[in-house]
Amino acid sequence: MNDRIKWCCILLALLLVFFLSLGAGQQWINPFHASGQDGFILWQLRLPRLLIAFAVGGMLALAGAWFQVLLGNPLAEPYVLGVAGSASVGAVAGLIIMPESAWMMSAGAFVGAWIGISIVMAFSHLGAGRMLLAGVVLAAFWSALLALLLALLPKNSLGLAFAWMMGDLSHSDIPIALLSLAWIVALGCGLVLSRSLDALLLGERHAEALGVDVKPLRQRLLLLASAVTAIAVTAAGTIGFVGLVIPHLMRMLFGSLHRAVLPASAIGGGLLLMLADTAARTVLAPSELPVGVLTAMIGVPVFLFLLLRRS
Amino acid sequence: MEGLLSLSNLGVERASRCLLSGLSCAFHAGEVVVILGPNGAGKSSLLLALAGLIPSSGETSVLGKNLHHYSRYELSKQVAWQGELPPTEFGLTVQQRLNLALSDGCGAMESVVQSMDIQTLLQRPLGELSSGERQRTELAALMLRDAPIWLLDEPTAHLDLKHQIQCINMMKTERAQGRAIITVLHDIQQAMAVADHLILIDGKGGAEYGEASLLFNNVRLSQLFDVPVIKQGNLLVPDYGE
Repeated sequence: MNDRIKWCCILLALLLVFFLSLGAGQQWINPFHASGQDGFILWQLRLPRLLIAFAVGGMLALAGAWFQVLLGNPLAEPYVLGVAGSASVGAVAGLIIMPESAWMMSAGAFVGAWIGISIVMAFSHLGAGRMLLAGVVLAAFWSALLALLLALLPKNSLGLAFAWMMGDLSHSDIPIALLSLAWIVALGCGLVLSRSLDALLLGERHAEALGVDVKPLRQRLLLLASAVTAIAVTAAGTIGFVGLVIPHLMRMLFGSLHRAVLPASAIGGGLLLMLADTAARTVLAPSELPVGVLTAMIGVPVFLFLLLRRS
Repeated sequence: MEGLLSLSNLGVERASRCLLSGLSCAFHAGEVVVILGPNGAGKSSLLLALAGLIPSSGETSVLGKNLHHYSRYELSKQVAWQGELPPTEFGLTVQQRLNLALSDGCGAMESVVQSMDIQTLLQRPLGELSSGERQRTELAALMLRDAPIWLLDEPTAHLDLKHQIQCINMMKTERAQGRAIITVLHDIQQAMAVADHLILIDGKGGAEYGEASLLFNNVRLSQLFDVPVIKQGNLLVPDYGE
């Protein structure tokens, strides 16, 4: 199958999933004939949530692709350096300060994410291996701190905290326009850096020999990937698997060059999260499942299937 | 005479260990300089220092301009370095790897691919190649770089006899076309076949530069490698005993 057909398939899938997700819910609403209260549900409730899912999923997949190249490790994902952990600590700390306040939780998550990132940045000059080690150790520290804070959290805020930690798209305190802009800027920056990122696949030394200034590139990439992760986490809590699975899936489809992998991941990640979120709010409607559970349930079997088929 | 690449009092340190110091020489267009020495003596480090990939002391100038005054991109136009590729995990194919080396559309992809016998490998991921195939791919990637100075780190490693000879012949052809080639080799016969000058690195901080015809003698090489090297006709060979 040539690349053009694959792109057509992805875009077709995107359209299909978009309209399916728009229509699906506690009750099916035909997106082409919706008016009155149905119209309100469709355009004021489902559409914004769908757009959030798309932007967040896309950004997580982009961040995953960047971290994998940056750390030279196929197992890397957006949370590998402990950003999810520090964001969760921040979110719960926010809830302790102001119980039951979703806004305070998001603000806490954003601050927490950046504290985590700043600590990891201090290790970035030591090279990929040690930065990864620092990230893993920090993640353990954050999870211990999280356990401590959860014990201190008032009972009435526990539900909110747990829902957030498993990924929650039902309320986002970041405006959709801002999230969409972040998605576009992230993809644009990624595409500008794509040739340097390709060279980085050969290892740092070979990239330098090809004329790539590796140190500033690494700094920029780390900052970019971290900022995108922080925004995604703040908007939707911690959602696993999208950032790990989608970049690999797209490499299987399009090869490893970033001018294809990055846009495909930005769309593919959005697609998976839209699908997962739709399933999360319809399977047991009117109650909702955590979307992180669904991304794993959809993403992992598809990934394993493709892995088996390829070998 | 000022060379394409000249060193004045060059010193290289790795992990606080002085590998070599006080090396002064100039490399000219149309010559091959072979670096010889025992394992861990600092041969590869010397190449990395010349490519500006690790720090060094003293002064290194490339086409009359201090190495450290070049941007990474400008330097890559003048100096091409070939070294072993670390294992890559992301399925880059041979063709894609070669495209990365192809700067600004110059270089003749087809003839280079043919000269390294990698026509059938182009769509294969690097991770699935044998060591020899990887090496040939890296040599092809080097040949696509239109830099006047080439630095090669054990170019014949992992190659079968046929491709070892092709590699040596390739260096001779490039020399004839005015390329300055500095290469690390382990095989004395190969070194004798191609070297105009030698750099001998002893692993104790000392480095000696000189004409190949003077430095290729059995006493000097026996000393350098700490094993007997004997003369057989025009050749110098290691003494493997009975």
